[in-house]
Amino acid sequence: MKIQSFYLNHPNTLRDHLAKSYRIEPPQAAPGQNTPPLVSPKGQLFAEHENLFTFDGECFRETLPNPEPFALFGVQSCDLTAISYQDQFFANDPYYQARRQQALLIGIDCLSPCQHGFCPSVNAGPGVKHETADLILHQLSTTSWLLLACNQKGLGALEGLSLNPANQPELNDRDDRIASCIEQFSDDSHLKQGITAINQNQVPEDLWQQLGLQCLSCSGCTSLCPTCSCYGTWEQQESNGDIRRQRFWDSCLYESFQREASQHNPTEKAGERVKRFWTHKFGDNFAKEFGRYGCVGCGRCEVTCPGVIGVHSVMKRISSDAQLDN
Amino acid sequence: MHNSITNHQTFYNLTPTAMELVDFIDDGEDARHFRFRLITPQSINTPKPGQFFMLSVPGAGEAPFTFTAKPNNQGVFRALIRKMGDVTTALFQCQSGAILGIRGPFGKGWPIASLSDKKIIMVAGGCGLAPLTGLIDQLIAERHHKHLALVYGARNRALQMLNPERLRWQREISLFDVLEDTGETVTSSKNHVLEGTPLDAMDSVLRTLDWTPDMLLLCGPEVMMKAVAKNFLQRGLPAQSIWLSIERRMHCAVGLCGHCYLSEHHLAHHYVCKDGPTYRWDYLQPPEKTE
Repeated sequence: MKIQSFYLNHPNTLRDHLAKSYRIEPPQAAPGQNTPPLVSPKGQLFAEHENLFTFDGECFRETLPNPEPFALFGVQSCDLTAISYQDQFFANDPYYQARRQQALLIGIDCLSPCQHGFCPSVNAGPGVKHETADLILHQLSTTSWLLLACNQKGLGALEGLSLNPANQPELNDRDDRIASCIEQFSDDSHLKQGITAINQNQVPEDLWQQLGLQCLSCSGCTSLCPTCSCYGTWEQQESNGDIRRQRFWDSCLYESFQREASQHNPTEKAGERVKRFWTHKFGDNFAKEFGRYGCVGCGRCEVTCPGVIGVHSVMKRISSDAQLDN
Repeated sequence: MHNSITNHQTFYNLTPTAMELVDFIDDGEDARHFRFRLITPQSINTPKPGQFFMLSVPGAGEAPFTFTAKPNNQGVFRALIRKMGDVTTALFQCQSGAILGIRGPFGKGWPIASLSDKKIIMVAGGCGLAPLTGLIDQLIAERHHKHLALVYGARNRALQMLNPERLRWQREISLFDVLEDTGETVTSSKNHVLEGTPLDAMDSVLRTLDWTPDMLLLCGPEVMMKAVAKNFLQRGLPAQSIWLSIERRMHCAVGLCGHCYLSEHHLAHHYVCKDGPTYRWDYLQPPEKTE
């Protein structure tokens, strides 16, 4: 479908319209712009914890979620790119897909860089990519917005809303503003050098060990990362005696993540786990399989890491180390 | 809007199928050879030797184990399991008739097609013999291979497993028991008994055989597998003729939960449950620099 574009006086007009058919997430009013929320919408599709099945003593019964249609309203491009990646990763996961097919994605263009974000460096923003959203909001002025319908699902959601088609000059303005936003991002040479060093396996093991010493295994980065998807399982007894298995977000940076019942642990050293985390986020082999890196440049790990080994800190250490060697 | 998610045919099944604990024999220290029965025969696909399943003990959890014998027409199959963690401790408390869960089979098995006309040496350590058991039985039954020797390492006699199977095999293949602590040697056995680790014993094993192996299959502790693989590479066996089976913690077995990743740099997003557990040696090595 060709993208269709309209004028909108305010996002709340769209929001009120969608609220007739969708539960709106997040429930608060105005969508944030230019800074993604601290917690990404990841949990709306890949739940932080959820039931997988119940066992009544004889039979195992799958317990799929069955949510009412909901709208993720005002999602930034980094997080939409992450959802688009997780759509691939969880393509055959029935729990994820049960939620995903009920979700309407309303993106919002960022028009200035956020503090730690580097979405242009990893092809994840700041303008919303049409293939990652159903609808896109773009602010033209305090009283005028563009509303883009990217697909039939998005267009269908606008049914009953009286909108005037947008003109080409405003669409060109959108492209210009996004281009000018990209120019305002800070220098990303440490990221580019870091990615190269990681993929050429040039980062010395002792640097990984030093970075590992700074990892407190708190799972802040993996919880806030919009692409992280590791999970564990556990079982509980319900009041009627049935057994219920749940899965919950896990973190590959926990010491016990790979530890086996025999106590054998292939990644016993924190440095090995930290190395694997960043190799997983920025590996060319990963990009070969998923068409992009595992990082969408939201910068949340930099915000949250108490050990100062978020993405910028790590990449600066790696790139300065690489330069010393040269 | 109606949710029609259940109509999708390719979804992973994270919910087990019911099976029953039939019985077991004690087989080695804290190890039992179990028989299980699928409540509905044919409710899982037929496993290939080296593939694994996820065993659920309701209330305790789920963990991966290998098939030692695939399901028969009645759905009865076997697995050797050592008491090690929460799931196996709960399993060892179960009585005959207990209802358990199974998902699978998962992973890639041994390269059976490449074993025709081969002179195969298998080196197993401890419970590492279990993933080779179904393969040995199949090779003996089909006889497409030329020669087969098994070098089985264990700390001592009490820790040796699959004792009935090894007795059965000793008429069919060359069998070497390697014990770190030989204790009192049992002379009635036709098996060769050697002291030390499989690596220590390898010179003696190869002298005893009147043929030179051209295929090496490994399963056991990673340190042992790596040492033996490197030893055979030095002896001139090509990397493409060495296969090993790797163990990892798993919570899904379908490439989602992330636990069974390989930390080797170039394999950082590969999962043992899907890519493995059986690997050719050269796949695990870093690629040669192209610069």
